[in-house]
Amino acid sequence: MAWYHGITTAFNALARRGREERQMDDEMQFHLEMEARRLVKENGLSEEDARYAAQRAFGGVERHKDSVRDERGTSFVEDLGQDARFAVRTLRRRPGFTAVAALTLALGIGASTTLFGVVKAVLLTPLPYDRPEGIAVLWSSWKGFDQTWLSYDEYEGWKADIPAFTNVGIYSDGAVNLTENGESERLRAGYIDRDILPILGVKLSLGRGFTAAEDIPNGPRVVILSRDVWARRYGADPSVVGKSIQVNGQAAQVVGVMPAGFRLPLDFGANGPTLIWLPLGADAESNGAIPGPQFQKGGGSHGFYGLARLRAGATVAQANKQLADRVAQLKKEGVYPEEQQFRAFAVGVEDQVTGRLKPVLLVVFAAVGFVLLIACANVAGLLLVRGEQRRREMALRVALGAGGQRLSRQMLTETVVLAGLGGALGVAFAAIGVWLVRHNAPAALPRVADAHLDPWVLGFALGTAALAALIAGLLPALQATSVAPQTELRDGGRTATAGHARLRWRQTLVAAEVALAVVLVVGAGLMIRSVVNLFAIDAGIRTDGVLTMRLSTPAAWYPDSVRVTAFHDELRRQVAALPGVKAVGLVRILPLATEMGDWGLQVEGYTPPPNQGTPGDWQIVTPGYFEAMGLRLVQGRFFDDRDVMTAPPAMIVNRRFVELYLQGRQALGAHVRIGGQDAKDPPYTIVGIVDNVKHNGLTREVKAQFYAPQPQFATSPGNTSRNMTLVVRGSGKPEQLINPVRGVIKGLDPRLPISDVRTMNEVVQQAIAAPRFAMQLLGLFGVLALVLSAIGIFGIVSQVVASRTQEFGIRAALGATPRNLLMLSLGSGVRQAGAGLVVGVAVALALTRTMTTMLQGVTPTDPLTFGAVVGVTAVVAIGASLIPARRAAKTDLAKVMTG
Amino acid sequence: MLTLKALTLQPMHGWGISIRLRQISGDVFDVNQGSLYPALQRMLRRGWIRAYYGDSENNRRARYYEITRDGRRQLEEQMAEWDHASRAVNRVLRFATQGA
Repeated sequence: MAWYHGITTAFNALARRGREERQMDDEMQFHLEMEARRLVKENGLSEEDARYAAQRAFGGVERHKDSVRDERGTSFVEDLGQDARFAVRTLRRRPGFTAVAALTLALGIGASTTLFGVVKAVLLTPLPYDRPEGIAVLWSSWKGFDQTWLSYDEYEGWKADIPAFTNVGIYSDGAVNLTENGESERLRAGYIDRDILPILGVKLSLGRGFTAAEDIPNGPRVVILSRDVWARRYGADPSVVGKSIQVNGQAAQVVGVMPAGFRLPLDFGANGPTLIWLPLGADAESNGAIPGPQFQKGGGSHGFYGLARLRAGATVAQANKQLADRVAQLKKEGVYPEEQQFRAFAVGVEDQVTGRLKPVLLVVFAAVGFVLLIACANVAGLLLVRGEQRRREMALRVALGAGGQRLSRQMLTETVVLAGLGGALGVAFAAIGVWLVRHNAPAALPRVADAHLDPWVLGFALGTAALAALIAGLLPALQATSVAPQTELRDGGRTATAGHARLRWRQTLVAAEVALAVVLVVGAGLMIRSVVNLFAIDAGIRTDGVLTMRLSTPAAWYPDSVRVTAFHDELRRQVAALPGVKAVGLVRILPLATEMGDWGLQVEGYTPPPNQGTPGDWQIVTPGYFEAMGLRLVQGRFFDDRDVMTAPPAMIVNRRFVELYLQGRQALGAHVRIGGQDAKDPPYTIVGIVDNVKHNGLTREVKAQFYAPQPQFATSPGNTSRNMTLVVRGSGKPEQLINPVRGVIKGLDPRLPISDVRTMNEVVQQAIAAPRFAMQLLGLFGVLALVLSAIGIFGIVSQVVASRTQEFGIRAALGATPRNLLMLSLGSGVRQAGAGLVVGVAVALALTRTMTTMLQGVTPTDPLTFGAVVGVTAVVAIGASLIPARRAAKTDLAKVMTG
Repeated sequence: MLTLKALTLQPMHGWGISIRLRQISGDVFDVNQGSLYPALQRMLRRGWIRAYYGDSENNRRARYYEITRDGRRQLEEQMAEWDHASRAVNRVLRFATQGA
């Protein structure tokens, strides 16, 4: 009960201080009057005498008022206000110190708040699905393919046989042309089955999802629009639902509009969101599968993304166990040949979307924590120095009756005010930082661009500022309590050498700073080496000067491959004629942009081991592609204008292909049949060998690959490649070619939509976006950490030099040379740096192991990196010590002694 | 303790308490009447007494104090302690005078 009264009294006192004061005045006045009246009545004093007597008996009114105020229990709060005002005054008197300290804190708080914004957007904000923890993405995998699509048989099988799944859906992706008022746009399209939206638990913002009746082969032409397309192309008109629009040159009815920001689970990466959805319309028959949960040998053709909704209480691990058991059974039944190492697995949707980025983000977040710690240590150091300078002031105040506790509270309040300043400034920095992240985050990093300042992030900034105040303010506050007025005032703050005990804390701080900086810089160094290694990997192509853009030739306007080829030929001719263009060609999929699938082959003279095929990654190109992309010819020739539709089919293969299937035999002239070719069609003849291209990723294993000319492939085995990417090599900046090339396409066919206009260098950068992101941030933080530690070292040496000026003067008088003095003071900084280096290297050795998955071509304990970091830190430490140390060397005896 | 004791009879205003204290103690405690007010404030904060406004004997509004249940309990405890302590002191003193 007592605490309750205490709180209410204190609260009332604070809230109604004015009234309390008035009441107190009244009450005491009343007392004095009553007492005076009594004295008049009982003792017969005159009124004036009575008043004086009453006051005498009462004692000092103001003193009693003060005591009452103290008893109200608000003095803590009032003191705090007083401390804060005092702190603001003190800080204002020292604008330089305040600016440096507040800026240092602001850097730390701003950087960590920005990073927290990113972490929150990527890892903490749930995906926009209903209960995302219950959604899994399904994959197949086998030798050479770590993560690939499902077949229709697998879809039906898992749906029926895996108890952990309540529902399984499949979809595929592609692109369609949307034409409205004669203006075409190429949109990324999702072909989804009727179960996908229920599995994700998406509520459409208008209309409905696809029905079972629509999700059939050659079913009714219906589409769902993204919110973005609906707003941009149809002015957010609700009546669009039910209307007919032009998709791929044909009428299709709009049945729904997706909610804002909806993305399919695999749309968070570089390819960007899907903008329009059509029914998948797949069935067993149209996919050459066996209806129901039966499997054909090999599982059939794999081309679908799979999603599953987990049964309540079931986990992804359980589902994986069940999938593994079922696959083992299917292998026994001979569905999947053992050698293919087939596997089916599920990945929780959150892991799928952000799993790759998670370790990177956590490492960077830890790094920013280090920066914050260093900033706090620096500010604590600054405050300690100030504390030293203020020892006499403190001692005087202790002597005048200020409690030690009160003094440390005052110091802490000063830090809190500093941290408040730093926090406010830090939020401003974070706002800039988040803006920069939003506008510069590589598209390949899922959800990073969603980072924004929200109440949680601001709350984090507040918490960080409070923590910073505590960390930075604790030592100086403790220092203030240890003030002993007698000694302080007696020696007048003048001693020949600086008290070693007083310096020790600061030295420890500086050593800790250096240690933290070393850890950060080692992390940054390892990332830099990794990224350099990634760039140094020979991808088999030359990316400089190359511009790429996607365009497609819809069947509605280009009904057969003759017309498609004619268009491509004319396009190549006109683009090649543009000034500055050195080579031009078209390709099915760009290296390092989209993973490539394979195709079963028969290579003349090669018999695969039992139950193994002869797969080859397939690439369809036009003449000019090899020159434009800069592939290296090993033997034979590139495609050229000889390789027309009616010419004998020609094929170019990569070196890996030769190693695997043509070992020791003459490769040029060898015949290869592509699976699906009619027996009466002539086989392809190898006319050239090119060097390996790291198509699926810079660090991935290269597989056997073949290139076929687009018109010939369209004839046999027969598939017109309508979605192609134009590749143009120029002599200047590739960006300068964008408008001329667009002009050519527009001149040929203004209806054709162009998309994904990128330079090849951009494609490569997106491919290594995550390690680059980590490198840039760690690099930035590493530099920041080094600078802050340099300031710390500079500070400690300056302090040592300043406090030992007298001693140095005496030493100089006794014959010490400036060089001796220089070394003496240099030593004080270098010793701390050395201790920090040793500790930092030890900690870094322990911590960098967590980065193993992010590294490329370097071990987490890379001696070169560690060596370089030790060197750099040592140079920085010596440099930072040198400036103040030189001052010591110039110590002027006369000045010291007379001063 | 004396203040609490004074308040057990009836609610009083500050001046009234000071008079009553002087009467109870036979003017022994007539040191500095103003010290009463911080003490009252302390007891208010601890919840031993309550304050309210009422009309005084000469029709002036004054702040009255009355003892609370907590206050009575506190008083009893203090009295018990005081009894205990004073008995102990008495015994010691008696022993000391006998022994002398």
